[in-house]
Amino acid sequence: MLRRWNLPILLVSLALIAGACGDSDPEASTTTAAGGTTAPTVAGATDAPTTTAPPSADPVTVRAAITGGEDTLNPYTYISGFPGWNLLMMQYDSLMQLDSAGIPQPWLAESVTSNADLTEFTLTIVQGATWHDGQPLTVNDVKFTFDYFIDNATGRFSRDLRGVESVTVSGNDVVVGLAAPNPAFDLVALADIPILPQHVWEGIATPGDQTFDISTNVGSGPYMLTDYQEDQSYRLKANPDYFRGAPAVDELVVIVFADDAGALAAIRSGEVDVIFERVSPEQIDLLDAQDPLDISQGPEFTTQMINFDVSKRPFDDLAVRKAIDLAVDRQDIVDTVFLGAATIGSPGWVHPDKPVYNPAVAGVHDTAAAIAMLEGAGYLDSDGDGIREFDGQPMSFEMLTNSSDSLRLRISELISEMLAEVGIEVTVASVETATWEQAVWPDFDIANGRNYEMAAWGWSAPVQANTIRIAELVHSDGGIGFLNLTGFGHPDVDTISAALLTEADSATSTSLIMDLQVLIAEQVPFVLLAYPDGAYVYNSEVYADWEFIAGQGIVSKVSLLPPGARP
Amino acid sequence: MRRFGLRRLDQYLVVFIVAVSLNFMLPRLMPGNPLALLAGVDVGLMTPDERAEVIRQVGLDAPLVSQFFDYWRAVLTGDLGFSYRSGRPIGEMIGERLPWTLLITGASLVISAFFGIIIGAFSAWRRGKKSDLTLLTGMIGLQSLPSFWLGMLLISVFAVQLGWLPSFGAVTPASDLTGLAHVRDIAEHAVLPIATLTVLSIPGVYLTMRYSMLEVLGDDFIRTARAKGASESRILFGHVARNAIAPVVTFLAIRFAFAFGGSVIIETVFSYPGLGRLVFEAVSRRDYPVMQAAFLVFTVAVLLANLLADLLYPILDPRMREQ
Repeated sequence: MLRRWNLPILLVSLALIAGACGDSDPEASTTTAAGGTTAPTVAGATDAPTTTAPPSADPVTVRAAITGGEDTLNPYTYISGFPGWNLLMMQYDSLMQLDSAGIPQPWLAESVTSNADLTEFTLTIVQGATWHDGQPLTVNDVKFTFDYFIDNATGRFSRDLRGVESVTVSGNDVVVGLAAPNPAFDLVALADIPILPQHVWEGIATPGDQTFDISTNVGSGPYMLTDYQEDQSYRLKANPDYFRGAPAVDELVVIVFADDAGALAAIRSGEVDVIFERVSPEQIDLLDAQDPLDISQGPEFTTQMINFDVSKRPFDDLAVRKAIDLAVDRQDIVDTVFLGAATIGSPGWVHPDKPVYNPAVAGVHDTAAAIAMLEGAGYLDSDGDGIREFDGQPMSFEMLTNSSDSLRLRISELISEMLAEVGIEVTVASVETATWEQAVWPDFDIANGRNYEMAAWGWSAPVQANTIRIAELVHSDGGIGFLNLTGFGHPDVDTISAALLTEADSATSTSLIMDLQVLIAEQVPFVLLAYPDGAYVYNSEVYADWEFIAGQGIVSKVSLLPPGARP
Repeated sequence: MRRFGLRRLDQYLVVFIVAVSLNFMLPRLMPGNPLALLAGVDVGLMTPDERAEVIRQVGLDAPLVSQFFDYWRAVLTGDLGFSYRSGRPIGEMIGERLPWTLLITGASLVISAFFGIIIGAFSAWRRGKKSDLTLLTGMIGLQSLPSFWLGMLLISVFAVQLGWLPSFGAVTPASDLTGLAHVRDIAEHAVLPIATLTVLSIPGVYLTMRYSMLEVLGDDFIRTARAKGASESRILFGHVARNAIAPVVTFLAIRFAFAFGGSVIIETVFSYPGLGRLVFEAVSRRDYPVMQAAFLVFTVAVLLANLLADLLYPILDPRMREQ
């Protein structure tokens, strides 16, 4: 009997193992893009704590939970835009540092000046900063860093520096010349790029081929990585010689969890002291009610939206896109899915907390108007099955969402119900993150087209934070609109968004952004539903002095520095 | 006998070739690709040329056929390659993970085999009685528990509510423990994963043992044993259990093979740094070389376990020897 069953058992066993492996969902970490933030005197973080843990002689150790490993945490190995980049920057410094309002302030560069047309930036490097190995940090390191990232591609930092034509050193100054005016250069580049020590990196010819251990993690930042266990933990010790003063937290242990449920259990059992990921809305009150846990909550710039393939019928018809926009009840999504912990999405893309937000573009929920618009454009339900038709086919679409994001799944289900009311059938397809990304953004290059009809999507904070990046989302030329995942194109949108990229005068720039919001709300390249709040849970008995950077959350070196050393 | 052995060897060879070839195809048949892993999170910001260069560097631009032959050459020379994610030798990565996995899966296998066999034998012996039916119902109930749910329940009770045991990991991070304290730390961390796996594995062993026993209990030689006045315990352990054990051994051998794969779900729930979690991470990020290497380990483990069962069977059951 055994013999006869042997082969099938073997094959079934192997299939089961392979199948078990296929079930996994990664964290959605790749929906991000490069960084920086523009402007804003943003309405500040909400209940960021004001009390400090009582000063004591005992060293303070904070154990932080993250979900998913970040490899060896150097500029070429860290994995996610959040919190990977944030943890990277615990060890490194940028030339400028975001303050609590999200505005870049002088940091390694003690002063930053630019010429009138924003094509030349002069950075005066601070005196007395040292690398973790004791060597002094100099202007040459800064120049080296710029050259290195330009020569050795990374997605983020090399992109930040595109358009840099020259980097010259003069005394304590580094002068950066740009090919074209870049009003956001301080935000996207200076506050984003980690400055590297020349004496460590000049020996690494091709970082893409390099296997890194943590010995190259020499930065100038407030923390030094002293131990790394893959998929288990990072141990970061305070740098007592930090140029802004020794950090308030002596040791930061970052623990890698496989999923957020594990991290939540660990903070409730007292095994970790803070979670460096946003907690989901339904957890906020529950955690806040447990002593000594507290929540730091505030508006953030991540987005939740609906994408549709505008190059395909019927989404190429403005009437259909507008009808979908009208049929969607944004307030319901904020109330039902986010339990109020989100800001209602503006159809013009820009977050209402930003000074360049145009309040004239508010989302309207009007099911009757949506129906009238579809009827008027000839989309009728001729066979009486409750679903309208276009070109002889039912208006029945698949909406892709990534299974690892339960909030996005709930949004999709709600959207499906809302659109059913106007005669559009939406079937929600929840797929693994890599599959979802490949359909919406094949090989991360919009030149490869789109393999979806509708998709729940979202961008990370940096895309929203720097308002002029709006061009990347809506411009029809793939060179400029390289994040234009819906295949949208409109001549007026192209003109204004391209002008915005190089506009040096801030009043003109603001007026262009105002106009663009109206145009985007009219043309509906996508439907922006909500900007979820960031909410972070921490143990206030261990450390309570977390600083909520507007739009960005608490995960930054600023949170761990004594108040006097913060920007 | 010799002719038969050769045929079986052929069979193993065929399965090995098919399975190992599938291990190459499976990752590539999945939608998506390792581009984001290779290029980093901001791959969307790279130029097409930069992206093409990234793909070229790892040889993914080569024709599939030549990649396939390179893959087989590597398999046959025992070269597991390097991870796309960390650039580390995969052999080293598996070497780090396997002991953790074997610790929890191995311990739970032994414990569940012990209890499963005893309870299964007892249950069959008392077939149809109240204790048998209660056990049977209970075991079927246990078997249908979702593993992540049971794991989270144990975490909730023993880590969060009672605070007796750690809820995650294999060791306390950054604790600098050494010697006995270190061993104790490892043991404490292993308790909940092992308990979860054990509870979930017992029903399988139990059911196999029980059914196998029931089959044997109906056989003539048991009646003979009774007739010649053998004691009940001698009949149970000397005759029935001994004859019923063979299918259980097969079952355990397959389980042992699975032990190498770890448990993706349990290692995820407990954030345990085993092989299952390595595979989970590799699959979700399309780290092809790690996926291939891990699948290869599973393939070899399953084949070896079956071979082991095939070899053990005649020893356990003399009737199998002369076929």
